[in-house]
Amino acid sequence: MKALFVLLALLPLGVAYYTLDNAIDPIKMLYTYTGVGAITLLLLSLVPSTCKRLCHLNFLRYRKTMGLLSFAYVLLHVSVFIVLDSEFDFITIFEKSLKKPFIYIGAIAFIILLLMTLTSFKKLFSKFSKYHKAVYVALALALLHSFWAQKVAGVFEYSVVTVGVALLGERIWAWKGLHVKN
Amino acid sequence: MNITPEALFEARRHFLKLGAGAVVSSTAISQLLADTPIDMSLSYTPDPNPLKLSPNTFEQITNYVNFYEFSTDKTAPVKLSQKMKTDPWSVSTSGELKTKQTLGVDELIAKFGLEERIYRFRCVEGWSMVVPWIGFPLYKLLDYLEPNGKAKYVKFTTKQDPTLFPDQAKGIFSSITYPYVEGLRMDEARHPLTFVAVGMYGKRLLPQNGAPIRLVVPWKYGFKSIKSLDKIECVETEPLNTWQAQNPKEYGFYANVNPSVDHPRWTQAKERLLGKLTKQETLPFNGYEKEVASLYAGMDLRKFI
Repeated sequence: MKALFVLLALLPLGVAYYTLDNAIDPIKMLYTYTGVGAITLLLLSLVPSTCKRLCHLNFLRYRKTMGLLSFAYVLLHVSVFIVLDSEFDFITIFEKSLKKPFIYIGAIAFIILLLMTLTSFKKLFSKFSKYHKAVYVALALALLHSFWAQKVAGVFEYSVVTVGVALLGERIWAWKGLHVKN
Repeated sequence: MNITPEALFEARRHFLKLGAGAVVSSTAISQLLADTPIDMSLSYTPDPNPLKLSPNTFEQITNYVNFYEFSTDKTAPVKLSQKMKTDPWSVSTSGELKTKQTLGVDELIAKFGLEERIYRFRCVEGWSMVVPWIGFPLYKLLDYLEPNGKAKYVKFTTKQDPTLFPDQAKGIFSSITYPYVEGLRMDEARHPLTFVAVGMYGKRLLPQNGAPIRLVVPWKYGFKSIKSLDKIECVETEPLNTWQAQNPKEYGFYANVNPSVDHPRWTQAKERLLGKLTKQETLPFNGYEKEVASLYAGMDLRKFI
């Protein structure tokens, strides 16, 4: 099952690879595929715990896979920025690009997810799992980043924010309920 | 070179079909005549292309557009616009000029003739293309309209018609405020490079490219090149163009292509030429510096974005 999920989650990359030759704006296409993939999987990784509370279905074992897959997309997204968009011009990256809120907000989200990935394996996870709440910060920054990537936000941007707010709202609701009972 | 032009080739085929039809029956002929496609081809003076620009393909230019009246997506307008009725279409002229009138697109073509202009096109979003436009320079129309001494600017407006443009029918949920408005200073409008396009690649414009008539200002970011023109007005004060109204911190009235002035969110130093996986340098005034830089002598181009 897990293998099937991984395969399904990586399918868009296969599509991107095969359409790259005929893409009209290939760099933009790669940004979109990897960006949308990363945000969708990141949102999806928040679903299992909601699901457990609301419909008593336990998908928690998928959570780590989702998070890691999301990071795989993020890594590709950042590679597009460094390799194709900036063409390894690190002077421009540090002196110009990283000074723009649109870029550094994305970069901060990347660093958070990078640290989460590095501390998601057995030994370190027990020590660092409490810090993994930072995923909410990363998600909020990623959403802001995707809004700023457009001249004006479209259907995708508004949909993911709606889903994100709903998932977060449910958590706050659940947390409040817990505290009122105690 | 013995290549039959596409239009003639099609015509010949059609004629042969008619001939074959005549053998069969006269009803078959009238049926075929009824199916004859409207002639979309245009005759024009070709651009000698001194800069040796190589145009992007017809497929690329017609499948990657910004036309918010249909959708904010780049490809969605292609399907959404296919039923757009662009004939008959007329452009009204008014304001500070001698002859206020409404002119049909075919009337304009007959009056001013057609020529090809192979221009670079640079979008503020960071992508670019090369387009073989067909049309006439705007100064020919302005000469004909005879603006008076009060006419300091030219204001352009896209058609406002929710039956043509789905995004205009969405009210407060539309992506931007309509109708779309653009403007040029009179000397910019009269510059020989400023162009009114009715076609591209030898044919009339497809709806998604701003049919049936649009503006092309090659040294400015693409959003200045307003589509599906409805009104041209000569006015005394600087028009508030749509993107400046939408976000004045990011977009100004001038919108000259300038690699050394960044967009607040991204750098403008390089661009993605459509179809290419590598980037290229963006040129000052999009490569038309020699021709147009003098229009902005003494102006701080960091301030007048």
